[in-house]
Amino acid sequence: MPRILPDVLKNLFRKPATVKYPKQRRALPENFRGKPVIDKEKCISCGLCVKVCPDNAITLDEKTKKPRIWMGLCMMCGRCAELCPRKVFTMSKEFELATYNKYEAMSE
Amino acid sequence: MTFIIPIGPQHPALEEPAHFRIEVKGEEIVGVDLRLGYNHKGIEQGLSDRSYAHGLYLSARVCGICNSTHSLAFTRAVESVAGIECPDRARYIRVIDAELERIHSHLLWAGVAAHEIGFTTLFMLFWRDRELSLDMRELLFGQRIYASGTYLGGARVDIKEKDIPQLIRTLNKLEKSVKHYIDVCTSDRTIIARCSGVGVLKKKDARELCAVGPTARASGVDFDIRRDDPYAAYGEIPFDVIVEQDGDVFAKVVVRLREILESIDIIRQAIDAMPKGAIRTKFPENVPENEAVGRTEAPRGELMYYVRSNGTNKPERVRIRTPSYANWPSVRPMLVGGTIADIPIVVASIDPCFSCTDRVTIIDTKTGKSRIMTKEELRRLRK
Amino acid sequence: MFPGILFAGAVGLLFAGIDRKLTGHMQNRIGPPIWQEFLDVGKLFGKEDITPTAANSFVFNCAPLLCFGAIMAVMLLLPINSSQPVLTSVGDLIVIIYLLNIPAVCMMLAGYASGCPFGTIGSSRYMVQLLGYELAFIIAALAAAAKVGWSLSLSSIVSYQAQNGWMVSQVALIPAAIAILIAAQGKLLRAPFDIPEAESEIVHGSLTEYSGPKLGILRIAYDIELFVVAAVIVVLFFGGPVPHTIYGIYIPGVVGFLIKCLGIVVLSTVIRNIAARLRIDQALKFFWTFPTLLAAISLFLVVVT
Repeated sequence: MPRILPDVLKNLFRKPATVKYPKQRRALPENFRGKPVIDKEKCISCGLCVKVCPDNAITLDEKTKKPRIWMGLCMMCGRCAELCPRKVFTMSKEFELATYNKYEAMSE
Repeated sequence: MTFIIPIGPQHPALEEPAHFRIEVKGEEIVGVDLRLGYNHKGIEQGLSDRSYAHGLYLSARVCGICNSTHSLAFTRAVESVAGIECPDRARYIRVIDAELERIHSHLLWAGVAAHEIGFTTLFMLFWRDRELSLDMRELLFGQRIYASGTYLGGARVDIKEKDIPQLIRTLNKLEKSVKHYIDVCTSDRTIIARCSGVGVLKKKDARELCAVGPTARASGVDFDIRRDDPYAAYGEIPFDVIVEQDGDVFAKVVVRLREILESIDIIRQAIDAMPKGAIRTKFPENVPENEAVGRTEAPRGELMYYVRSNGTNKPERVRIRTPSYANWPSVRPMLVGGTIADIPIVVASIDPCFSCTDRVTIIDTKTGKSRIMTKEELRRLRK
Repeated sequence: MFPGILFAGAVGLLFAGIDRKLTGHMQNRIGPPIWQEFLDVGKLFGKEDITPTAANSFVFNCAPLLCFGAIMAVMLLLPINSSQPVLTSVGDLIVIIYLLNIPAVCMMLAGYASGCPFGTIGSSRYMVQLLGYELAFIIAALAAAAKVGWSLSLSSIVSYQAQNGWMVSQVALIPAAIAILIAAQGKLLRAPFDIPEAESEIVHGSLTEYSGPKLGILRIAYDIELFVVAAVIVVLFFGGPVPHTIYGIYIPGVVGFLIKCLGIVVLSTVIRNIAARLRIDQALKFFWTFPTLLAAISLFLVVVT
């Protein structure tokens, strides 16, 4: 008697393990690294974020000298959030970043 | 009269591109020729162009399934070069990171192997339980696959007290499931018919062809870096190394499934024994001139990083030898003498990870015909 | 129309859809909706029709039509609503068994005519498997026929069961029922015997080079074959179409017949999900020992008593 048979028959009456995304969403843990969100008021334009980003995704705007992240390169590693002296960056829980024009996907 | 069957680069049996030319007579295989190199990414050059802190992230992206182990091996090599020791709590966090990854990698492999022999139900059930281990990585480290738990000089994040009960609950659930799956796989007659006696790698061949990891341990070669050359906190946590003697695909299945149970046990012991304290020490920007080798036990075998520094903040040369690369030559004695129906399961039994394999191109010097051309030659040919 | 192409097509595709939905739930996921097969086949008919240049185009193009035609002919020969099939003058058991072999032969020819190595291997495996299951199928069918005094007409088998209860309720024929169910699993190319179309080994076996409307016709033929083989088993062993009258409402025989066929399909689905795929030499050895022996025991018991 195959031992998988009781599993298969039990599964017929069990709720499926599928999460019906996007109608249902799971709760994300608090450590979750999603899109970095920038709080421009706190920024002192030191330029440290530009140096520590492994992908060179952060640039400072020419006029306002505030940071801007291009999401096409950002790998959401969290170094900017960790090493900024004024805590300008926070890793939000947003991960649904698909867009029609990737050059417009900026976080600022 | 032999007949050549091409498998790949696009084939349902392989997830990633490789090219096999298999000579068959009827259903029996008489010769195997292998060509790799479709996935060459130029990572070793990239590591020499980036500083150590940035290179850590690139080394993790050599492979998606064993990423924690790659960054851990890089960290071990670079910390040896710089002469830095990381704090105790960080060593235990690295163990938890690496073992959670071993669980997810072995469950992924088990599902893929079940799909290769046509048992789709087990494939779905294994991958359903793999989600539990990925949820744990997300809870502790922030992302499911690229957890980046290690950092040069310590660990990136700390494990909070309030997450530990959920971790223990999930580990208990996983342990019950995996024990049930071991029971199913060792007793199901169709799985035994497909896997046992198939793709046998004798112990002598395994030693001569330098097979590593579960591929070698299933043939009786008793070698595991975690026990024989301990790193992180493995020296302080007792565990068993699973070794089987038969060398066929069934032995490899049993070795990998039992290793999942050992990993769950190691994580539990690590949580209990973890000391309190800091998780990072300062790592210098410029690393003095030195060279070192860092080895870890990836889910697929022994992974080796060689790093040479020259006093600046970028390494001079990084050389990576992955376990999948070392296991490919052992495919030939496993396949010759078998049938076509065995090809997918035998190739899958060494757990090939093509991202890990193709960082150097292979030039076949035996038959002059199948050389892979370099870019210069192609450019010359175009004119 | 009834029980012509529309009825057979609709029921066959519906059963295939139910099979996929049940498989999904057994694997703890949500399967596709029940009408997914209709959508798949409809999509295939809208695609471009391609014949590879290396293929023998006459055989390549005719094979799907021959498959489909043979299956429809069997549909017309089965007693579905009452104990008389639609074509009464031609049919008997041997003709049905031969007609059910034609799709297999067509798939083999199609595989060889495809001009690709996967087709050749798929066809050679199909031939070996045909040798395996056909013997068990024929002996089990003959056991049922022997019970009725060696009459090979399906109408007489159905009438016998209407009077004496299902064939399966007689102990001597239970091994034959088990044998024919296993042989049907091999005939329908479902796990553990889906070797000729093993996806992870030889892409799609004989059907690799087919796409577009030709693949659509082959898909419909395959799904109707699911219904037809279940129908043959129900007619031989499980009573066939019997009209009932419950609480004064007359239920025609076809409803009970469809429900019984669905039961066989569900049984086949459960077996499909609990086994891995066997190798062709193991499958041949298995077919020639276990089901053939069971069917032979049944035939012997029926003849002796």
